Amino acid sequence: MLASRLIPRTAVRSSFRSKTSLPTVVSPVSRWRRGYASQSEEKDLVIIGGGVAGYVAAIKAGQEGLKVTCIEKRGALGGTCLNVGCIPSKSLLNNSHLYHQILHDTKGRGIEVGDVKLNLEGMMKAKETSVSGLTKGIEFLFKKNGVEYIKGTGSFINEHEIKVALNEGGETSVKGKNIIIATGSEATPFPGLEIDEKRVITSTGALSLEKVPEKLIVIGGGIIGLEMGSVWSRLGAKVTVVEFLNQIGGPGMDTEISKQAQKLLKKQGVEFKLGTKVVSGDASGETIKLEVDSAKGGKPETLDADVVLVAIGRRPYTSGLGLENAGLEVDERGRVVIDSEYRTKASHIRCIGDVTFGPMLAHKAEEEAVAAIEYIKKGYGHVNYGVIPSVMYTHPEVAWVGQNEQELKAQNIPYKVGTFPFSANSRAKTNLDTDGLVKMLADPETDRLLGCHIIGPNAGEMIAEATLALEYGASTEDIARTCHAHPTLAEAFKEAAMATYSKAIHF
Amino acid sequence: MASFTTATRLSARLVSRRVAQDAASRGFRTSAVSLAAQNFTMPALSPTMTEGNIATWKVKEGDSFSAGDVLLEIETDKASMDVEAQDDGILMKIMQGDGSKSIQVGTRIGVIAEPGDDISQLEIPADGKPAHDAQKVIPAEKEEPKQAASSEQTGARKQPRKSGEKAPPQKYPLYPSVAHLIKENGLDESVISEMTPTGPGGRLLKGDVLAYLGTVPPSRPEDIMKRFNHNSHLDLSNIKIAAPKKTVKAPVQEAPIPEERLVSLPVSLAAVIKVQAKIEDTLGTFVPLSTFLERAAEVANDALPLPSNYKPTTDELFNQVLGLDKVAPKASRGRYLPQIAALPPSSLTGVAPKPKARVDIIEFLVSSTKASPKIRTVPIQPGVSTGTNFFSLTVPREEEKRAKVFLQRMKTVLESKPGNLIL
Repeated sequence: MLASRLIPRTAVRSSFRSKTSLPTVVSPVSRWRRGYASQSEEKDLVIIGGGVAGYVAAIKAGQEGLKVTCIEKRGALGGTCLNVGCIPSKSLLNNSHLYHQILHDTKGRGIEVGDVKLNLEGMMKAKETSVSGLTKGIEFLFKKNGVEYIKGTGSFINEHEIKVALNEGGETSVKGKNIIIATGSEATPFPGLEIDEKRVITSTGALSLEKVPEKLIVIGGGIIGLEMGSVWSRLGAKVTVVEFLNQIGGPGMDTEISKQAQKLLKKQGVEFKLGTKVVSGDASGETIKLEVDSAKGGKPETLDADVVLVAIGRRPYTSGLGLENAGLEVDERGRVVIDSEYRTKASHIRCIGDVTFGPMLAHKAEEEAVAAIEYIKKGYGHVNYGVIPSVMYTHPEVAWVGQNEQELKAQNIPYKVGTFPFSANSRAKTNLDTDGLVKMLADPETDRLLGCHIIGPNAGEMIAEATLALEYGASTEDIARTCHAHPTLAEAFKEAAMATYSKAIHF
Repeated sequence: MASFTTATRLSARLVSRRVAQDAASRGFRTSAVSLAAQNFTMPALSPTMTEGNIATWKVKEGDSFSAGDVLLEIETDKASMDVEAQDDGILMKIMQGDGSKSIQVGTRIGVIAEPGDDISQLEIPADGKPAHDAQKVIPAEKEEPKQAASSEQTGARKQPRKSGEKAPPQKYPLYPSVAHLIKENGLDESVISEMTPTGPGGRLLKGDVLAYLGTVPPSRPEDIMKRFNHNSHLDLSNIKIAAPKKTVKAPVQEAPIPEERLVSLPVSLAAVIKVQAKIEDTLGTFVPLSTFLERAAEVANDALPLPSNYKPTTDELFNQVLGLDKVAPKASRGRYLPQIAALPPSSLTGVAPKPKARVDIIEFLVSSTKASPKIRTVPIQPGVSTGTNFFSLTVPREEEKRAKVFLQRMKTVLESKPGNLIL
């Protein structure tokens, strides 16, 4: 008996497979038991969710020498961002922009093109290649940093133990000294319109429509709505954006920039209905009918479309997580309640990313992931929530960081403004891409930068400079006195700084 | 003067815990730096260290050093340690040369100056702590002569700073605007320490220079700093906790119930009982039935066909990318454990197999009744009979075939050669 325990299971396995005779030995009973409902040893950290918050936390924890397990149910890491968010949408935005440019913007550049045809299937394939490459990359990083990866749906049994319904069938449970909830968010549905991701779609469906719809209505003129609206408008759909607020881009976007963005998108063929409320929707007919009403009480109107994109925001995703089993609380908007160190009511359970407070942005989640691990490991972490950039990847791009003009006005904070248009920038001129401007807001007395708002080519890359300046408490003079290469679009950034603290040279 | 607390990182931390030196060193810190050389005293490298030997100075007299540079090596009775510089500076004079023995902690061992200082112009300050005993002198007494000595500027420089707040010396290159303003206004760089930095991490901002110059109200930079600090935190005030049931229960009910199938197969345990008895007769050990069942399941779980909805893992996809897809698995290990009952499960309807059915490989029947999503549990031992038992599994529809293969194997193993499971 004793000797038999030493014979590895592989021996049993191979003997069975060869079907010669039944094995004379099987492994000890204890091993079998573990196979069913495995009770692994307690981990230093268990992370529920393999999205940007979860996977970054997992890798960071691995690097810090913690024994870490990450549970993800999607079957691919990277969460919404990599699978059905930032990454695939950027692929479509970039390629649809190229297509649009080849169609409409070649003559003035001395390029003659023949028949230009859209191969939507090919465009989707390019998108999938990018996505799968990146998600596999994370899996590789998990291995590299010793992160255990469980593919399944996790839910709390109690505040220390998590049950995982494995994707490939069966069930296991894991225990963690620390637990991080990073389950992310999902698109908020529109009451009265059932999402089928074919005709009534969220951003997820908008990333994989099988054909270009003739008429697309976007409910919600925020960043997601405008980006996906742009994609399908460029590919030939007639796009109408219905927004409840009086400006596009959401409340964070500077009003002046927002107006400019609206003007430029309108020039590209996107229709806008601002200050308009969608009262009800009916998807039963051939086309989808939407009853809209002017928010200020104008006459009601009926819009119809082949496809309706619901982009009215995202909500925290905690369903099936069993928060109640761990005694955790959510607020009225479903966000898991945390303290300033991301601890929930149970201090060993922390919560980061979209599922809790703060802007629902991948880079914010990433920062929190690192900070949360530092809190666990070192007792101190930090995220500067005042300096989190936002980018909208339309064309031209819109990007901002810090406070905007309407916020400063509302809080009675004095400020001075400096702007510089890309039409006065040499690189933008040579690129024949001169729409947009850089706008800086600074303290009128000390010149400290308060916010920066850019609409224009490459705004999303340029905002990094403003973010760095804000993080270091720079004045616009500091920016202006920093050498910028010529000819670059970034010179517009420097000139805007000059315009803020004294005068721009080239305008 | 700042003494070693500003000069050595380690000792700065340790010394602050020492009551005797604490007050003194703190006093020195606030009275700040510059325009004069500072005494550099023997640091305490461990809480218990009272004296040490200087092995070697790594920096020569008159040489500049930067923060982090090793200044000298000190030997104690326990070990020899490097002393690192906390800030940039110049080593003006070495008072206790290489090989000096038994120097009391706190005794002056050298004199250091600020970076950029012209050391030929600087006076060597009086030794603040000539001997170990001097530590017991009340700090106030020692501070006074120092402040008096460093001219009337001392009074002025204390003005803008709030009491209890210390201005750490600027360790970073000055911001372009700051450097510009200082030159433009003909200020000496040494006045920097008199300005109150309000930037992140104690960095000196343009506004701070302007406030020092009186161009902007002195409180202005600080107000902005407070606002930035406020904005840098998540607003976690006024959280309205949701009633727990509304948000949590509703989505749970919405979750679709996965379709389950019940797969069952009659298995005779007669052969097992026979072997069991035989073992007891010949070897004298009683092997419980559960051992047979567990081992049979272990064997039967091996290399089961993949569920019909099996999606290749990302690993396998990655292998495909690498052209290694030939090694992709055709089968995987199961985790089944059958429910065993002496009678056919009551949930079986219609096609339920007859309990009398003779043990035969072909004779297994499947019921496809939609069952509740309660999944397999541990075998029900009391339900086992010596004759025919029903082994059943409740599995997702996609795993039906997989489960059938498993049960079939259980049957083969238990009915044909159960002895092999034990011997």
